[in-house]
Amino acid sequence: MSILLDRETRVLVQGITGKVGRVQTKWMLDYGTDIVAGVTPGKGGEVVEGIPVYDTPAEAVARQGAEASVFFVPPAAVKEAALQTIKAGVRLIVIVTEHIPVHDVMEIREYAKEQGTRIIGPTSPGVITVGEAKMGIMPANMFTPGRIGVVSRSGTLSYEISINLATGGFGQSTVVGIGADPVVFTNMPELLRLFEKDPDTDLVVIVGEVGGLQEEKAAEFIDRWMTKPVVAYITGLNAPEGKRMGHAGAIIRGDGKGTPQSKVAALREVGVDIAKYPADVVELVQRHLILP
Amino acid sequence: MRLYEFEGIDLFRREGIPVPDYALADSPQEAREKAQGVGLPVVIKAQVLVGGRWLAGGVQTAGSLDQVEKITHRILNSPLRGFPVKQVMVAQKVETAQEFYLGVIVDEYHGTPVVILSASGGVSINKIARDRPELVVSRYVPITTGLLPTEARRMCREAGLSGKELTQVAGNLSALYSVFRKYDALFTEINPLVRTSQGTYLAIDSKMEIDDSSLYRHRDLHLSLDDRIPNPLERKGRQIGVTYVELDGDIGIIASGAGLGMATMDIISQRMRPANFLETGGAITAELLYKVMDLVLQKSGVKAVFINVYGGINPIHEGAKGVVRYMQEHGVTIPVVAKALGNRQEETWEIFEKHGVKVVTEVSTEKGIEQLARLLEGGT
Repeated sequence: MSILLDRETRVLVQGITGKVGRVQTKWMLDYGTDIVAGVTPGKGGEVVEGIPVYDTPAEAVARQGAEASVFFVPPAAVKEAALQTIKAGVRLIVIVTEHIPVHDVMEIREYAKEQGTRIIGPTSPGVITVGEAKMGIMPANMFTPGRIGVVSRSGTLSYEISINLATGGFGQSTVVGIGADPVVFTNMPELLRLFEKDPDTDLVVIVGEVGGLQEEKAAEFIDRWMTKPVVAYITGLNAPEGKRMGHAGAIIRGDGKGTPQSKVAALREVGVDIAKYPADVVELVQRHLILP
Repeated sequence: MRLYEFEGIDLFRREGIPVPDYALADSPQEAREKAQGVGLPVVIKAQVLVGGRWLAGGVQTAGSLDQVEKITHRILNSPLRGFPVKQVMVAQKVETAQEFYLGVIVDEYHGTPVVILSASGGVSINKIARDRPELVVSRYVPITTGLLPTEARRMCREAGLSGKELTQVAGNLSALYSVFRKYDALFTEINPLVRTSQGTYLAIDSKMEIDDSSLYRHRDLHLSLDDRIPNPLERKGRQIGVTYVELDGDIGIIASGAGLGMATMDIISQRMRPANFLETGGAITAELLYKVMDLVLQKSGVKAVFINVYGGINPIHEGAKGVVRYMQEHGVTIPVVAKALGNRQEETWEIFEKHGVKVVTEVSTEKGIEQLARLLEGGT
């Protein structure tokens, strides 16, 4: 199934009656995603794109057997919705919503860990298992089925890298946007672990950026546990210090941590090839998968 | 959002952390009046959002009212590390017997608050941690449980405190954790908490940042973002809802994602110089891109614009309409090159091309930048 989801995954859409929720539901359905239910509190009984809407995630799970949920819920409502959804017993949540308070994220994260629920995001473009199903906002025409796993902090760069990989003849197994906030629910090493175990993935591309410790921790994981080749692109080489570069988590704070140089050095040291620019990733992948 | 010292001190006081007497002044005369109320000697402290105020001369003691005026005049008239100083704090001068460091931060990677205590305060915690790591006590705190009083006391014992000192510092540590939680802080720091020679405890400085995403639930604090962003273009970006960072080159950038924007910047920097970083976020409309074009072209000397957008959540065909409307209304003649992929890309290309925007249909940003460079060299 590649990782996280496949065409059999029974998906719930939260915030399905909103403007973004409706459009994205249609596109996810067009892609083949098995959407079984929607939830918007107070809108139970409505139907969107042929999908029944319920008031609570617990109902969606009980009536339609939903096992994964994608969030198009406004930021102030995410905490309550997430806690309910975890309680309802889904195994995977993907949170597209931006600007969720960090303290809410920390609270949800603690409860999800206790309950063993995996959450991707927030501020994530989503997860796509190419050719099978997608949860999120990724434009389908950027992706081609294949055997490269992609884990990215940026949504748009995951599209750019994927479409360039395809022009080089390399499709993707699963592409995951981990989210652009300072605190995310699932860190990069955890996704590397899933790709390492996945029989449908031969190589993993990391798309990183300035700020935080995701790439440095990924390097530690690769050093200890990865047998599959890893290629990386790190953006923000020219980002000025002390400025948030669009993503809440993309900031060089001047304490020597989170710089593009520290990320590139950490990954290089454990044998990861670093692409200078996004399209260069293709050539590096070629070296691993085509040349002996 | 970074808070000024006096704003942090005010939140400390609300949660029961004792602070010295102080008043604010924005002129030397006002400082003189306020100093009389506070009582001499006083400390005059520049209210700016940069660190290193002591070293830069932004914190000075005054023993007379004439000195208060003179020092305030000097502080208000010299920018501190490039930041203009609009206000000073006139605070009671405290006789220090011992200094402590108290802080609560977010460990971003682990997604958990961390409480930090040191019986050696006054300098930066990074410096203490580097030079005397044995003096720093820290704890991960489960956010749904919070910092239990017993845990705060245990931390104080580990830091070598006992008796009344332990009780006092532990109480303030718990109160600081409440400040952190109640006001959605990304970090909050008392450095130093002072034991005065009279044996009282006072928080004499604050550092604090409130999570921008939480500001909707802290409207009662009346914090205004505007005066905290000194760059006028960056402030304008903030007002229209995009992230704009001014750089020193002449190629304007408009990107629909932060990562894409940074990558575009990196690629342009190879052979040209970006004028700005701009990221629209996921709420593109024709109106927004009209304003964004205006913002990017407000910087003088911009000689070309590179637009790099993906249609995932964004209706990029709508965005294209805003761009070309701006160009028509303002007679834009400099080269504008657009790479636009994703949902409704063909429609977007058509709108751009019809109105003189050079469309890049190749999928790599590098190729797009090459085309831009060729245009600037007089090619097609």
